[in-house]
Amino acid sequence: MHPLGGRFKPYLYILPVATVSGLLIYFSIGFTAYASLTDWDGLRRMDFVGLANYRTLLSDRTFWIALRNTLQFLVVTVVVQACLGLLVAVICKERLRGSNVFKAIFFMPIAMAPAIIATVLKYVMEANYGSLNESLRTLGLLGDGEVIQWLGRDLGIWSIIAINIFQWMGFSMMVYFSGLMSIPDELYEAAMLDGAGWWRRLFSVTIPSLRGTTNVLIILGIVGSLKTFDIVWLTTGGGPGVSTHFLGTFLYQARADREAGYASAIGISILVVAFALSMVQIKLADRK
Amino acid sequence: MKKTLPAKVAMYGALVFMSALWLYPVAIALYKSTSVGGWHNYAVVLNHPTFNYWHAVGNSFLMAGTTALVVMLISSLGGYAFSKMAFRGKNVIYNALLACLAVPVAALVTPLFFSIRTIGLRDTYAGVIIPLIAFNVLMMLMIMRNHCDAIPDEIIDAARVDGASTFRIYRSVLMPLSGPALANVGVLSFVYSWNEYLLPTLLLKSPEKFPVTQAISLLQFDRMSQEQISQLYAGLILMTIPSVIVYLFSQRFLQAGIASGAVKG
Repeated sequence: MHPLGGRFKPYLYILPVATVSGLLIYFSIGFTAYASLTDWDGLRRMDFVGLANYRTLLSDRTFWIALRNTLQFLVVTVVVQACLGLLVAVICKERLRGSNVFKAIFFMPIAMAPAIIATVLKYVMEANYGSLNESLRTLGLLGDGEVIQWLGRDLGIWSIIAINIFQWMGFSMMVYFSGLMSIPDELYEAAMLDGAGWWRRLFSVTIPSLRGTTNVLIILGIVGSLKTFDIVWLTTGGGPGVSTHFLGTFLYQARADREAGYASAIGISILVVAFALSMVQIKLADRK
Repeated sequence: MKKTLPAKVAMYGALVFMSALWLYPVAIALYKSTSVGGWHNYAVVLNHPTFNYWHAVGNSFLMAGTTALVVMLISSLGGYAFSKMAFRGKNVIYNALLACLAVPVAALVTPLFFSIRTIGLRDTYAGVIIPLIAFNVLMMLMIMRNHCDAIPDEIIDAARVDGASTFRIYRSVLMPLSGPALANVGVLSFVYSWNEYLLPTLLLKSPEKFPVTQAISLLQFDRMSQEQISQLYAGLILMTIPSVIVYLFSQRFLQAGIASGAVKG
């Protein structure tokens, strides 16, 4: 039989997805690359300035803060979400009574909008009248009149990390859970015959078998970190000062300040970081 | 496997402790929404002068629903072609598309805003829906292609022997076998689009078009009284209700969709 669809029809089938998605995204990347070499204000003025935006970027303190925050966020959220997710998945696989209820509790935030969760937690974490400090005072963990600046200069990034873990831990849990289901029982039976205990089985059977799943979660974590915007913008807005800016919010702020050329250079830097991190991850995953 | 009592206690202990942390924000929001002003706050939010709850929910449904339907259609057409057809440049095009999975929306807000404004779709539903489709469809294309790969060629060959056209095979052979996969793709795109904040914030300026994620801003002011904060909490809870309903009805597909999207990265 000749190939299905002949020579030309297949292109008709991929045309919608290729134009809506491929064309729009690649055009946007090309446009960003060009605009990053200009002093575009987002409206009219658009003069070629060479690499000036990139020189400014590399000496911009905010850029390095945003990059450090993004990477710190990436590493901590991926590790914590993977560990907690695996822990809950492994426990739930034991089929304890009520494990479906627990799974639903942890999975639920995925269906809720990050914008709503972030707004709730912004008010919960507010230093003076927020419920979190109030609750800690009730539990006696915080003295009268003491406040913890959850969204301040020092803790802000950690609070944003916590919000992300709250939102996405259930994702890792669910992905690990379906990964666990595909590990053949024989592996566990063989390990038990060899006298391996629960922990031994976890480290010698479960975790190695889930390596593919873990790699996928790392890749998704890289992309997720670089597109993190709403939970930062709606809680700290990048502040106080510029202490909690992420690459995404830094770009948005530059754009809002009518520095579209500069924002484009930030955009390109985000793409470069995304590409570099993905390559590193793929290389590391291959080597094992 | 046999479980000893201490092991069980440890497992329940871990789950209960974590659940308490996870339920804390929800409990606070519920409590705070009535702490000043009582249940009246919900009525205030529903009859708010600047924030229209039903409009916001309707807008979210419109944008997320349209995105989900279009994504289901074009990802299944594309998945079918990439899986079952042979054509020049297939792998190059497929890999070029999937490479965009790693492209974060936040990196491209400037050209997106420019493109949408240039084609005259700024501050329109379509102007938000188009980029929503663009950034959601790629993972769904991958899911649909993997799904089609798992359907044996023999079924398709048999239909071709019977004289079925390419499109007939899509409609009468492939789609009837794709119910769960399409549901996964639809639910996942719907939830992701419903939750999107950056694109509408970038592209919409008329409050009557705001989806729920963006409409939150209409309940926030510079200096808020305790009563206004309670009303904000009430509004946030009201805005979460549709998500909870969608979640309850589609939990199975959402979970399956996430699992199938994470199989091959």
